[in-house]
Amino acid sequence: MASSILKTEKLCKSFSNGGLQQHVIKNLDLEILEGDFTVIMGSSGSGKSTLLYALSGMDKPNMGRILFDGKEIQNFSNDELAVFRRGNCGFVFQSVYLLDNQTVLDNVLTGALIVQKNSAELVSKAKALLKKTGLHEEDFKKYPNQLSGGEAQRVGIVRAIINDPKILFADEPTGQLNSASSKDVLNIFSEVHKNGQSIVMVTHDLKTALRATRVLYLRDGGIVGDYRMPVYGEDDLKERRNGLTKFLEDMGW
Amino acid sequence: MKIWRLSLFNLKKNRREAIGIAFLTLVTTLMLSIAVSNHTKINTAFDDSFRLSGSVNTCIRFYKQKYHDAFRTILEKEYKVERLQEGHLIYADMTDVRTRDGDVVAYNMIFVTEKVERKIESFKKGDQLPSSEMEKLEHPIWLPSSFEIVKGYVPGDSFTILKSGKEYPFTVAGFYETGLMSNDGGSFKIVVTEGDYDLFATVFQSTSSAECVGLFFDAGDDFDYEEYVNQCIEAASENVSLSMTRYCYQYEKYNAVTFLEIFMMMIICLALVTFVASLFLIRHKISNDIEDQMQQIGVLEALGYRSKEISLAYLYEYVLAGGSGAVLGGILNILITPVVNFGIRMMLGRNVVGTDGIFGVILVTLLVILVVVLFALLKARQVKNYPPVIALRKGIRTHHFGKNVLPLERYRGNVNLGLALKGFVGNAKSFVGVMICIVAAGTAILFSALTFVFFKDDAKGLLSMMGEDTETIRVHLMSGVHPEQVKEELLKLPEVRKVVITHEGTNVSVKGTSNDAYVTVFDDFANAEQIKAFEGRCPERADEIMIGLRRSRDEGIGVGDAMVLELNGIEKKYIVTGVIGSLHNGGSTVFMTKEGYERLNYHARAGMLIVYPEKGVELKDLEAAVTKRLGGTAKDAIGENLEAGDLETKIQAAAEEKIATLLMQYGVTDVDYAVQVGDQLITGNSRGFVVREITSYEGIIKTQMIPIARMTKGFTLAALILISVIVAVILYLITSGDVRRQRQSLGIMKGLGYSSRDLMTQIALKQMPVSLVGILIASVCAYFINQIFWAVLFATVAETKWLVIILMDLALAAFCYVVTYLSAGKIKKISVNELMTE
Repeated sequence: MASSILKTEKLCKSFSNGGLQQHVIKNLDLEILEGDFTVIMGSSGSGKSTLLYALSGMDKPNMGRILFDGKEIQNFSNDELAVFRRGNCGFVFQSVYLLDNQTVLDNVLTGALIVQKNSAELVSKAKALLKKTGLHEEDFKKYPNQLSGGEAQRVGIVRAIINDPKILFADEPTGQLNSASSKDVLNIFSEVHKNGQSIVMVTHDLKTALRATRVLYLRDGGIVGDYRMPVYGEDDLKERRNGLTKFLEDMGW
Repeated sequence: MKIWRLSLFNLKKNRREAIGIAFLTLVTTLMLSIAVSNHTKINTAFDDSFRLSGSVNTCIRFYKQKYHDAFRTILEKEYKVERLQEGHLIYADMTDVRTRDGDVVAYNMIFVTEKVERKIESFKKGDQLPSSEMEKLEHPIWLPSSFEIVKGYVPGDSFTILKSGKEYPFTVAGFYETGLMSNDGGSFKIVVTEGDYDLFATVFQSTSSAECVGLFFDAGDDFDYEEYVNQCIEAASENVSLSMTRYCYQYEKYNAVTFLEIFMMMIICLALVTFVASLFLIRHKISNDIEDQMQQIGVLEALGYRSKEISLAYLYEYVLAGGSGAVLGGILNILITPVVNFGIRMMLGRNVVGTDGIFGVILVTLLVILVVVLFALLKARQVKNYPPVIALRKGIRTHHFGKNVLPLERYRGNVNLGLALKGFVGNAKSFVGVMICIVAAGTAILFSALTFVFFKDDAKGLLSMMGEDTETIRVHLMSGVHPEQVKEELLKLPEVRKVVITHEGTNVSVKGTSNDAYVTVFDDFANAEQIKAFEGRCPERADEIMIGLRRSRDEGIGVGDAMVLELNGIEKKYIVTGVIGSLHNGGSTVFMTKEGYERLNYHARAGMLIVYPEKGVELKDLEAAVTKRLGGTAKDAIGENLEAGDLETKIQAAAEEKIATLLMQYGVTDVDYAVQVGDQLITGNSRGFVVREITSYEGIIKTQMIPIARMTKGFTLAALILISVIVAVILYLITSGDVRRQRQSLGIMKGLGYSSRDLMTQIALKQMPVSLVGILIASVCAYFINQIFWAVLFATVAETKWLVIILMDLALAAFCYVVTYLSAGKIKKISVNELMTE
């Protein structure tokens, strides 16, 4: 049985909008296990991204506890959260969010250098990871606006995993990609997961969710469904799709 | 949508930055308009005051024994002078006065009776004692109104003149408006009763302080003073140039307004620095705003708005912000007019009324707005460079196809520094405006700091520029006293570090100019500590001379040129070997060797000792120690208490006082006396006195230097603080704009684990190359401005305090870093999520 890496208790997150309090996450209890590829699904406005940002220490909850590797992080200051994120979390965003004025390699190194000292090994590692995602040596000196959406997202993934984070968080990483690019990106995620990486991903795409080992369904700020699957590729894809589809239909997706 | 709505929206969104720009234009307008409107006011206030006094515009004073009636005839016949009058007056050279506070200061004073005063001007009285009280006064005195305005005297105050050990107490009867002779730099004309005048005529009978004849008149444009001096010399058949002094409207005004005008010039410089900073800031911000809102511009263009209309949105924004600042600055100027009037009144020593200068305020306000409009317009026009397609793609300039500068791959240092440098090099061009702001403001700060440090110890800085060894006392020996023996005696004192034997200084005529020279003599100038030539060298031979920078500049003579000096009919030629920055005697001093001086004055003997104190010894303590060792001075012996002792002691004391009076006031060199009392013969002589007088620069320091030093110190400190605030505002505006523009990048960095402190450090470090280079350039500029300031205004050479410059550079760099770091602090308040999704 895998150990718990991330746990929430009575987690609440609300936003104030024009004097009105909007409760997005309500008393949410959740446990993420080490090595799991967890996908969070739900309709628009169900609080998927909000939950992801709260879990990852990108945002602070209003109430409740978040235990990351046994350590409570909900009361951390912004700077403490930043330090916490450095070694523990990697992020892949829907909009990629590469730094416009930096080359591909510098984007990756910017993420790495805050954790590790610069060295030839680190640069080699960054280049090797970029190559592994299908990018070529000549792409390393390109700027983000010279890359396709898929290429940019690959850079985003490498930047997220360069520090070997305990959990890789991803917010709809294929949301802005065409199907070919999406497939390439998802293959990278699967590859990373097979290497033992814990992943928490938000998506509304069935094909993406198929890569997970666990699918959580979120509605009105609470988890209403929890579906488990074997590791991607270890079972029959058709059966896998049918099972997940049924689960999602049951959830009213 | 009306396009100005976009301006209002931007103003509201960036209200802090708008307030910052409004603040800068407010300061600019306020300072510029103060300088412009008050430049006129200073001049008119002086002229009004002069007119009100009813004074003639010229007074020439001749020592009585050198005066000839022909001098008056020349004026009557050769020049079309008007209102010509003649009268007697007493000139008292740097005479001690015990002020109302009990402090002793020294003034050049001219005593006149009311009758003579009315020949000079109307004797228009101001505040005064009631006539009932005035009648009771034994010794009433009327002071120029500047004593009331500047020195705080009120009618009824005591005003005690100290001369030759005696006190002459007066009571201030009141004040009067005076045209001529009313300033610290020249003389103060004081009206006394006929009885007191007669008394003073016997008290002041030395070479420099004595009764004079004055010719008072209104000189026309044809009056040439130098020509008149030559005519007087011819008429008298002797050189009387050293015996005559001119007081005129032009000199009086120059003395009164120059310092104020220097302040106004400094205010203008500060205003220009602020204005340059504002303009470049506006340019910088418009440029950034356009880049920031590129997509919005693209959308508006796609909707059919012309680039000209969109440009106007930016123009309106800055015209509203800058314009409101300018208008507020103008209004503020009008509101603080009474305060400014008070300041001018204090510095001018004359009454200032009225709010004239409003036209200047309006003009400056409009000018500031106009320049802001032009600058904003020129920059806002760049919108036309972005057609919709390019604008929607955030402008071609935001795409990077160039070389990757400072790649992180090769960087091995601190990551924050690496990213900061990368950020700086990647945007170096956009920092040009910031650099100009820092250079301008840094120069003003460093110049203010140098000036402040110079005046830190009040008059000490000015004393160092006197071109004389001022940190000394001068012991004037009695005739017949051997200076070498006294020197040996003095060197035994622990308070004494060094003693130099020299001649007393004297005034000599310079051929070809009415600008007489005061001679300073040194056996060997290597012994002098503050007399250093900045061009050429000090004199070494008998035919060599060194001159002050002002004389060199005014008379166009320099190293290698010859000049002819004249004293008591003897003329000698000297070659100029050096030029010195010298404030002493208005820069008229000349320096020569003992042999050089003796060529001009055969009978001269070295009868003065310059005594240098040991480190930490105050001049007054040194004087006390010297007096104790050598005995009292002849000057102090006058007026000593004669009450105590037997008859013989009393007679000896009275005799000694009489001897002291003869020695001090009548130029007698040796006295022997014998008094027969019954069978007893009481005898004595003047050889008991070693020291005739001890002098120092204390008086001139208190009356002339300390007020200037304190005023300048206050002004430069205020300037230092104001410009520092301006630098802080500039850096805040640039940094907060930077943070706003880079919100997303900063959010991404935060997401990657960079803390707010890391990012604030990066932003502050990114600014540092600009700040450091700017400060370095500012240091060089400040150095040259400081040199020019002292050379042009005071005809002296400023010592470069490199340590101050280096320390200020470091402080300024640290200040820039801290301000930028703190200005980036709003990063802290924004969560990663908000930053990225902004």
